Amino acid sequence: MTEEILELTVDKFTFRVPKGLYFNDTGVWVRPEGSVARLGLSDFSQQRSGDMAFAEVKPVETTLNPGDEFASVETIKVNVILPSPVTGAIVDTNRALEEAPELINQDPYGKGWLVAVELTDWEADKSKLLDANAYYALIKRQAEEEVKKA
Amino acid sequence: MTKVVIVPCSGIGKSYGTVAREGAYVVTEDLRPDTTQLVPLSLLVLGDELARADVAGAQAITIDGCKLACATKMVAESGGTVAHDLAVLDVYRRHRDLKPAGIAELNEGGQKLAQALAEEVATLVDELTDEVKHA
Repeated sequence: MTEEILELTVDKFTFRVPKGLYFNDTGVWVRPEGSVARLGLSDFSQQRSGDMAFAEVKPVETTLNPGDEFASVETIKVNVILPSPVTGAIVDTNRALEEAPELINQDPYGKGWLVAVELTDWEADKSKLLDANAYYALIKRQAEEEVKKA
Repeated sequence: MTKVVIVPCSGIGKSYGTVAREGAYVVTEDLRPDTTQLVPLSLLVLGDELARADVAGAQAITIDGCKLACATKMVAESGGTVAHDLAVLDVYRRHRDLKPAGIAELNEGGQKLAQALAEEVATLVDELTDEVKHA
């Protein structure tokens, strides 16, 4: 099934936001698939962070509450700790990132996913997250502010 | 014998670009001065005829500072043959303890990373010059 994508162009940059995903304000996305959700880094966040040098994720069976670190990435510009947007336990990790962290840059909503989490309190978690439209509005403000500063 | 041409990222404004440029200096001035020649990317961008002729007539090793890969693209556009293209980020992944910082002046990690990069390039230069000797 093809996801509908919102596209935001600011200056020379274009950012993609798939509908159907949820986001926290640091740019971690959640794609619910039944009782499990995949997590990754949004297109906006990966572009703002720069080329990925390393990506590390917590191991399978790590339990998470919203705000807990579940992954960290090191780019040519910054080191970023990623907070979990959901409650649950990690059931799978993207091992391809060990050899090719650039997948986060190349395909942030696909092959660049970070972990899969068995959800235990999704309805409560979802109520605190941004849907695609709200996240689009957030990054539009942030991107326009950054362009003004440049 | 035709020298191997080394074309680094021009290294303006970002640490990884500076590492590319510093690494190229180490190869061409210290490690393999007799078998390599530095061609500045800026001359290729400007269409300098001598620089284009140097690139067109030799094997080139490019060193890119970011995924835009300007050095590799310009050598190809200038009619050169890219024998090897290196990215500073890939070298850093092999030397995680050498985190580069600084632009005009690299930190210690950046200087050591430039040295490690230069040693990788020197090995590739030796392979290319050996191939020519045995051809």
